Amino acid sequence: MTDDDALVADMRRLLEFLEAGPPVLVEGTADRLLAGQLDPADAPAGYAGLARLLAAATAPAAPEELAGGQLVMAEFAAMAPSHPPTPSLRRANVLSKLASVKAVAAVLAAVLSIGGVAAAATGRLPGQAQRAADQAPSTTGAAAAGHGLGQAAVADLGAAAKTGLCRAWQAGKSGDHGRRADSPAFRALAVAAGGADNVAAYCTDVAAGGSADSQGRAAAVGPDAMAAARAGLCQAWQSGQGADNGRREDSVAFQALAAAAGGAEKVDAFCQDTTAGSAGSQGKAPSSTPSTTVSPPSSGPPASTGQGGHGQGGPPTTSG
Amino acid sequence: MIGPSFPGLLAAAQGGDEQAFAVLWRELQPAVLRYLRVAAPAAAEDLAADTWISVIRGLGRFRGDEQNFRTWVFTAARHRAIDWRRQAARRPAASVSVELLADRSAPDDPAEAVLEAQSTRAALALLAELPADQAEVVALRVLGGLGVAEVARIVGKRPGAVRVLAHRGLRRLAKRLEAVGLERGVTR
Repeated sequence: MTDDDALVADMRRLLEFLEAGPPVLVEGTADRLLAGQLDPADAPAGYAGLARLLAAATAPAAPEELAGGQLVMAEFAAMAPSHPPTPSLRRANVLSKLASVKAVAAVLAAVLSIGGVAAAATGRLPGQAQRAADQAPSTTGAAAAGHGLGQAAVADLGAAAKTGLCRAWQAGKSGDHGRRADSPAFRALAVAAGGADNVAAYCTDVAAGGSADSQGRAAAVGPDAMAAARAGLCQAWQSGQGADNGRREDSVAFQALAAAAGGAEKVDAFCQDTTAGSAGSQGKAPSSTPSTTVSPPSSGPPASTGQGGHGQGGPPTTSG
Repeated sequence: MIGPSFPGLLAAAQGGDEQAFAVLWRELQPAVLRYLRVAAPAAAEDLAADTWISVIRGLGRFRGDEQNFRTWVFTAARHRAIDWRRQAARRPAASVSVELLADRSAPDDPAEAVLEAQSTRAALALLAELPADQAEVVALRVLGGLGVAEVARIVGKRPGAVRVLAHRGLRRLAKRLEAVGLERGVTR
């Protein structure tokens, strides 16, 4: 380590001598720049442009960056048989036997509405997604959910899905099966709520602020699924404004949005209506930026990434 | 970062749960793709898909926390990029895009797009202009959100060497942007 430090100091001196240009960075400043913690306005002389570059490089995800989701999820599904029996399938069976009809209906409604998001993003009609979901509710729903997550860049559960999942969770309160913490539906809910502990509070908010339709089911498979998809697409589109890649008109998601709006030039107005009309029901901005999250400079030796650390036992080389 | 729900999501994904895997994918895919746009610009999308396929194949054997998982995924991405560059070097029609991008007099200079439009793609193109070892380290730290220790492990260098490469890369980029900025009068 002392060798390394000496090397750093030597290199820095060398840089000072050899290269004209901005002054060499103090170590802490470099770390803050690299971690995205330095506002361009606070950057040292000569580094404002660099701070802007790094901010642009770590801007929120654009829909096109999540466009490959369908392929990856299909690959995951294809690999699944080599895993133990798919838990979501097994639990779906247990649920259908044990849970109340009401809870099942609500879960199904939630799954279908997520499928609606995916269908909207790919330009398929909700009816097609629904037919597919009828044939194989849990697998298709999960695939559609993954698909929807990618294609539409909807970070949070759609409003309809949220309502459905919360209903299922609440309906199961008296029994143990409806709120089983390990069920896929509950996990999706926990992720949306920001943790398993927050689900109760999250669902209270949903129940209070949710749609007036007490049935939930009809709303979820009907127009609400489209509304959720629309709001998700609009948020993704709006979050990309100003950047060149966020509103690319050739992206699948944008095409779906343009089709819904009745033309590319009408998207702006369309989205204004949508976001004004459904404010609060959609949750947060659609994209998370992994790179803006700050990691500790060194988190100690990894527990057991030996297999991945240097790649010896890591993922096989399969590109050839 | 996914945070406290990561272990549960990982376990579920390892058990074959598609929704759980979708959450993991969604969290890391933009960063992986951007890293590959720097490391192998001409094949970034394909290599990102390849990366995830290898992650899916190895997922059952992975053990570790979220930071370990990120490190592991970026290790896979880097292997794809290295393989691709090796193959590209063997192909007769090697890409000349880096030289083209480095032409500062080009009308669509990425430096201008960064300063004026905060373009993510232009920012990545500028990172890709750096010498490969500097670009790699800066990209892993900035885009991957990884610390010095993790990056050192991924690239197989000592932490001190990683720091030096990051410094050199940042300074070179600053110089490049400063020149354009002064010319255009857009730096503030």
